[in-house]
Amino acid sequence: MNTTQTRRQALYSLVSAAALAALSPSALAQSGKPVLNLFCWSEYVPEAVIKGFEKETGIKVNVENYDSNEKMLAKLLAGGGKYDLIQPSEYVVESLIKQDKLEPIDSSAIEGFKNLDPKALNLPHDPGNKYSVPWMLGTVGIVVNTAKIKDDVKGVADVFSGKYKKRIVVLDDNREIVTWAFATQGIPINDVTPENLAKVKPIIKGWLKQVKAYDSDSPKTKFLKGDVDIGIVWSGEAATLWKESKGSGKFKYVLPAEGAHQFVDSLCIPKGTPRKEAALKFISYILRPEVSKLISEDFPYTNPNLEARKLLSKEDQENPASYPPGDPKLETFKDIGKAARDIDKMMTDLRSQ
Amino acid sequence: MQVAAAAKSRSAPGKKPGAIGWLLLAPMVLWLLAFVVAPTAILMVASFTSADDNTGFPVYRQKPAEDGEVAKPTYSLSNYKRIVVDDEGKLLTTEEEDIVKVDANGDEQVIGTKKVTRFAAPYLRVFGYSLLYAGIATVLCVIIGYPVAWFIGRANESSRNLLLMAVMIPFWTSFLIRTYAWVTILAEQGLLNGMLQYSKIITEPFEMLYTPGAVVLGLVYNYLPFMILPIYGSVEKLDNSLVEAALDLGAGPVRAFQRVILPLTRPGIVAGIMLVFVPAVGMFAISSLMGGGKSPMIGDVIAGQFFAGRDWPFGSALGMTLVLMFVLAFLATSRLRKAVADTE
Repeated sequence: MNTTQTRRQALYSLVSAAALAALSPSALAQSGKPVLNLFCWSEYVPEAVIKGFEKETGIKVNVENYDSNEKMLAKLLAGGGKYDLIQPSEYVVESLIKQDKLEPIDSSAIEGFKNLDPKALNLPHDPGNKYSVPWMLGTVGIVVNTAKIKDDVKGVADVFSGKYKKRIVVLDDNREIVTWAFATQGIPINDVTPENLAKVKPIIKGWLKQVKAYDSDSPKTKFLKGDVDIGIVWSGEAATLWKESKGSGKFKYVLPAEGAHQFVDSLCIPKGTPRKEAALKFISYILRPEVSKLISEDFPYTNPNLEARKLLSKEDQENPASYPPGDPKLETFKDIGKAARDIDKMMTDLRSQ
Repeated sequence: MQVAAAAKSRSAPGKKPGAIGWLLLAPMVLWLLAFVVAPTAILMVASFTSADDNTGFPVYRQKPAEDGEVAKPTYSLSNYKRIVVDDEGKLLTTEEEDIVKVDANGDEQVIGTKKVTRFAAPYLRVFGYSLLYAGIATVLCVIIGYPVAWFIGRANESSRNLLLMAVMIPFWTSFLIRTYAWVTILAEQGLLNGMLQYSKIITEPFEMLYTPGAVVLGLVYNYLPFMILPIYGSVEKLDNSLVEAALDLGAGPVRAFQRVILPLTRPGIVAGIMLVFVPAVGMFAISSLMGGGKSPMIGDVIAGQFFAGRDWPFGSALGMTLVLMFVLAFLATSRLRKAVADTE
């Protein structure tokens, strides 16, 4: 055998190996076992829930995570993957309905739907819940380390009074920051117009100078490490902090007196999936009180499942960050379309000075 | 020169690659076409479009104008214009800013105002910061990396491999873990502050994390090996008899370094600068992890356009600007190198 021949043979086997590798994913997808492609937030769906569903139904769940609504949207709309079940927040649900990207869901036919709190249903982003089933709700509010800050902090204006300069963490989320500024000025939070943005720009400029860090992923870590003493974060983060300090009240959660953003994360089925049945099965599975309870125990947001709430420990039920007492002023986000660009532009301007 | 001649003789055959040659090259050529040329072309086309209002995706075909409306052009330079000037078309802006003095109690007092001139468009400012951070990080990498590379290159063979290994070991863990380790070290109640306080060097914790300095540190730490390795390559090849000759002929150590060592290791330094500076400018995530998101770099701003900003065409334009900057910088440096080589 001469060398050229061996070289050719080596090349040939290389090429055929590559061809085989290219073919295999489609080959795998066709092998009989039913699957469900779940595209969900990171740190939001407990492993136990996935395992339990797989065991009971024999459906294999492929989980892919995202850490912002916009990343999910980008992947879903660009056709980067095939997803059967997604977990968007309220304004994204609204946008997806507008673009006709969701499968209608007959909620009344889903077993367990009746367990849901009527206050979490029928909201402006999806009247009649024709396309979405709420997963968890939450708010954006103020966390105070009461060991360091003794003042009675009531609202966003108090946080940025100038007293806590460089002790503040805020969400790394430009729309949230603009929303707080709107709330302090009595501007409806969904009224994102160039005029209103211009009105709050100097206010935000003053605020940003006082911020120590921006963090959307895990602001609780900064509280626990003692890097910050006060901040405006997701209620789930606050609830975890409250749990970690074992109810000693070290970390207090305050819903801003000016009003707060309530987010509603729902399960939705993207248009055109061939596995709608499996997706519906998953939805009804998580609506079972004993399953829903598992989610709440790991991720203490506001569970809309009233039957599941009854199963939670007394401590969890009384967690003020998960279940804020009283009747706070809460508002959900609406889809603001291209106004998102104006926010981004203004905030880039302010944050790069 | 000897080196240049050697290089020439190696590439001398000058034969065009035959069929087998092309077949062997094919994976690389296909790779470049599929993952460099094609995406860059898509990026370039997208950068001239405008974004869809709902999705932020590029619109490659505008809807025909309705009655009484002026059709939006599909392709325009508006994204590039937005990078350079602000809404009013200004390049520079002057603002009054307070001069703040911190008094003995740690309270801040405004003691006057000063005029500050800066780029009006925020994106130019972010480009500026990114170049500045990456530039400082590159200079620090050269200053720190050169002696290290020299030492490793001159060490005896057995310890040389061990030392090279030591440079590489941190890279066995992921970038994120390495960076989080720094967060733990630099935090206000972190290891470093704890040690300094314990040893009574400072009384109050020192703010290190979430500052521009922390961002530069993150860049230096993550890119240092990319400076050390190419310089090590040149140092190792350096013929020691040339250095000895320079010293024998009366050059002091400084002069020998300047006239003999530095020129001979220059290729390694240049390669190191390229390997550090280029990726450092476009780096993202470090500014949010170690800078607390307060010193955005252009990589973060570009990523933002594709998500919360919902403006893919503008993100593409920012990306293309970055690519263009590197192409120009590359051309400029290779010109410079050629000019230097010609004069020698």
